[in-house]
Amino acid sequence: MIKETDRQLCLKALEMARRHGAANSRVNLVVSRENLVASLNGELDKVTGCLDKSMNISLFVDGRFGSFSTDKLEESSLDEFISKAAEMVRMLAADPCRALPATQRCCSTAVTGNELDLLDTDYDTITAEKRKSIALEASVFGQEFPGDFELISEEAEYSDSICETLLMDSNGLECRHSENSFDYGTEVTIESHGQKYSGYWWDSTSRLSLLDWKSCGRRAVFRAAEQINSAAIRSGKYNMLVDSEVASRMISPVLNALNAYSLQQNNSFLIGSLGRQIFHEGMTLTDRPHIKGSNCSKLFDSEGVATSEGFVIEAGVVKKYFVNEYMSRKMGTEPTIEEATRPALNPWPVPGLDRDSLMKRMGDGILVTDFNGGNCNSATGDFSYGIEGLYFKNGKVLKPVSGMIVTGNFIRLWNSLEAVADDARPCMSKLIPTLAFRKVDFSG
Amino acid sequence: MNPSDKFPVSEELLRALVAEGMSHGGNWCDIYLEDTTYCDLLLRDSEVGAGGFHVDYGCGIRVLKGEKTGYAYSESTDFPSLLSAARAAASIAEGCCHVQKAVIPSSKRLDEGNFYTQRQDWRMSGASQFVPLLQDLDRDIRGRDSRIVSLTAMLSWSVSEVVMFNSLGELSSDTRPLGSISVTAVFKQGDAIEKNSVSRSLRAGSEMLSPEVMKDLADRAVAGIDERFAARRPKGGKMKVVMGAGASGILLHEAMGHAFEADFNRKGQSVFSDRMGQRICRSGINIVDDGTLPGSRGSCNYDDEGVPGQKTYMVRDGVLSSYLHDRISADFYHVKPTGNGRRENFRYNPIPRMRATYMENGTDGNVSDLIASVKKGIFVNQFANGEVKIGEGDFTFYVRSGFLIEGGRLTMPVKDINITGNGPQALADIEAVASDLKVDESTWTCGKEQSVAVSCGIPSVLVNNLTVGGE
Repeated sequence: MIKETDRQLCLKALEMARRHGAANSRVNLVVSRENLVASLNGELDKVTGCLDKSMNISLFVDGRFGSFSTDKLEESSLDEFISKAAEMVRMLAADPCRALPATQRCCSTAVTGNELDLLDTDYDTITAEKRKSIALEASVFGQEFPGDFELISEEAEYSDSICETLLMDSNGLECRHSENSFDYGTEVTIESHGQKYSGYWWDSTSRLSLLDWKSCGRRAVFRAAEQINSAAIRSGKYNMLVDSEVASRMISPVLNALNAYSLQQNNSFLIGSLGRQIFHEGMTLTDRPHIKGSNCSKLFDSEGVATSEGFVIEAGVVKKYFVNEYMSRKMGTEPTIEEATRPALNPWPVPGLDRDSLMKRMGDGILVTDFNGGNCNSATGDFSYGIEGLYFKNGKVLKPVSGMIVTGNFIRLWNSLEAVADDARPCMSKLIPTLAFRKVDFSG
Repeated sequence: MNPSDKFPVSEELLRALVAEGMSHGGNWCDIYLEDTTYCDLLLRDSEVGAGGFHVDYGCGIRVLKGEKTGYAYSESTDFPSLLSAARAAASIAEGCCHVQKAVIPSSKRLDEGNFYTQRQDWRMSGASQFVPLLQDLDRDIRGRDSRIVSLTAMLSWSVSEVVMFNSLGELSSDTRPLGSISVTAVFKQGDAIEKNSVSRSLRAGSEMLSPEVMKDLADRAVAGIDERFAARRPKGGKMKVVMGAGASGILLHEAMGHAFEADFNRKGQSVFSDRMGQRICRSGINIVDDGTLPGSRGSCNYDDEGVPGQKTYMVRDGVLSSYLHDRISADFYHVKPTGNGRRENFRYNPIPRMRATYMENGTDGNVSDLIASVKKGIFVNQFANGEVKIGEGDFTFYVRSGFLIEGGRLTMPVKDINITGNGPQALADIEAVASDLKVDESTWTCGKEQSVAVSCGIPSVLVNNLTVGGE
């Protein structure tokens, strides 16, 4: 989709920026196309078609910095836009820490955009009819299910998209990334004895042939049905399992706390943690941005810096802060990458565990299957989340629970780690398997 | 008003697009043209060293066939691009047996509501005039508390020019300003770190940045920090909760408002789906969703379907009296649209969304009376975010700070706890409503599928039996 004329437009934008006084500049052209077909109760409900093209422009003018974007990309509009942008940058405070990243740190291998094999060669052959048939044929509405409930609503959505980016800067950087995405999701509402319960399931891949849309409906119904007659149980300390579907909720605050923007502003519970044993030895988190064919893999970040595979946390020791060019100069530390691209938590203590084996291993506890709201204090690591899930005893599910709250602190939580399973869902941006923690506070 | 006043399109072109949109048998078509400029300035380490502006321009075309939606948009307003979008949206009705040529009635220009104005247009104000304002705010706040180790302040504003046209021939336009200013201060006391975040957001021009507003922000940025350092997690469990006036309106947004949105009810998904006309809380309680509050973040002169802004009673005297409708659900329920059809921008089709949601005043005294009536419970007054499960009605909201109530008095400060309950049960469990209604003006954003600006408010209320997180 990004053509040579688009590349020429980016070069012109860099030249316009220079002409309007920017010593350095960076442009990021993003072009995407998406088609979506949704069904309600097995019937066509919505079709949408989207085509987007916009440009992000970063300007470094007189030691000052500003960030801008527009979807008005006619040459005359763009020139006026960049002129006004440069004018605005001059009103900001000078900051000697603002600079493009050094050329040797930037990516030189993203030439075609498809180095990570994220394009489906059949994408352009998908017809409107095919999209409709996928959206409709996976419906389970009206089908029989075992159990004492009625399926009263099913919403399903199929979408496919292609997104291409071209990143260029005034140092001569040129990087491309192209990615197809095929997504299917189902949300259901069931009713049992006058009570409603909801469930969802989804899948996402870069190849249509790998998309598992057919099982989404049944899995969504199963997740709703397993909550029938759920209730809060007595408040207290319970072993906690967090299902791989929602386990990334346990890692996101840690990644945020390792970001230099949080650290520099003292708004992080991991200040001074680099090189120190902060977490349990079973916690090993790697960044794996180069997995071929895997959604979210990427060769460069938004500054054009090359991503790399490596440890973020190794056996509980913090190995990396996420430091972009600006923050590295501001904090006087070595730059790394602006954020984790494809974080993955290693299985521990042995590979091959799943949620059933973790339940057996832990004996009694609560398996969290979904979160309902909640938050984390980024300065202290204190958290409190609403949950629903399954109470298990002697390794077997006893009854569903809901209306409960789990409360704690992320450093203490990760130090109570008992096991990490081996069942991360490849469709998710963070590869976090089912987790087991010892004695966590639940209120009900 | 002519559409060409704001966009390079004529009324004839809009009529042609609507006709094309309905050419496959759709029974409704509307066009939404938008030109938004968004600008932000960031103060960090006492310098305004980052900022920028962003232009979002395009046109969304929607075709309805009964309750089914076809939607497409274009970032260009040249005729071929718009025609292509109209044809894509029209495809929702493909396969209709009897297609009659659509007749678009003569145009009716709807008069603009007037629930917000810009005395000083943000677009006419250079960023340079706001830089010293942020620096003064930084100095003011830092001067109030020597424990501050970092402070960030962000000023952002957007102005959206919108023109809407539909197959009834209705033509409407709106200019929508939205200004927001927020502060996060981090405090250090010994080895302990705490932070406080405050904000103010209004549909107004840059005149909103008055000395009073800036002082209010500074006051609130340092308020209650001693209590936060002293705060502990309470022992968790079910207890009585007194919710202070204002931001506690998040209770209404999460526990009730979403479940009253008519799309969830039309599809049978909401816990309130079959309860219209029934008593759902004690008499005397009125809960409204209001698009007409002057300058409120949630106000709409028109919603994004061209329906005039209005005030909707969802609960009147304790009885469920209305859902929040877009045109699809209004047609389904054979009622008039309530002006709740909203969208994030032209890239999205409108769906039922809240505006400013609040409870009207009660007659049970003031907040002190409510606290005094509780032997053991909790008082909460600062919040972050919330969430609800529509079918089950289970909701949560996150409390940044509050106090334990023991023997009718506020005692130990508490912080960072989640509170959960069930919507219908929480409504039924409201025991007392004070007469101190306050609509909160913080930067509330609702994230149901799309992000839209909302507001919420409530008088102080006493709710029996909510579950409070704790250790």
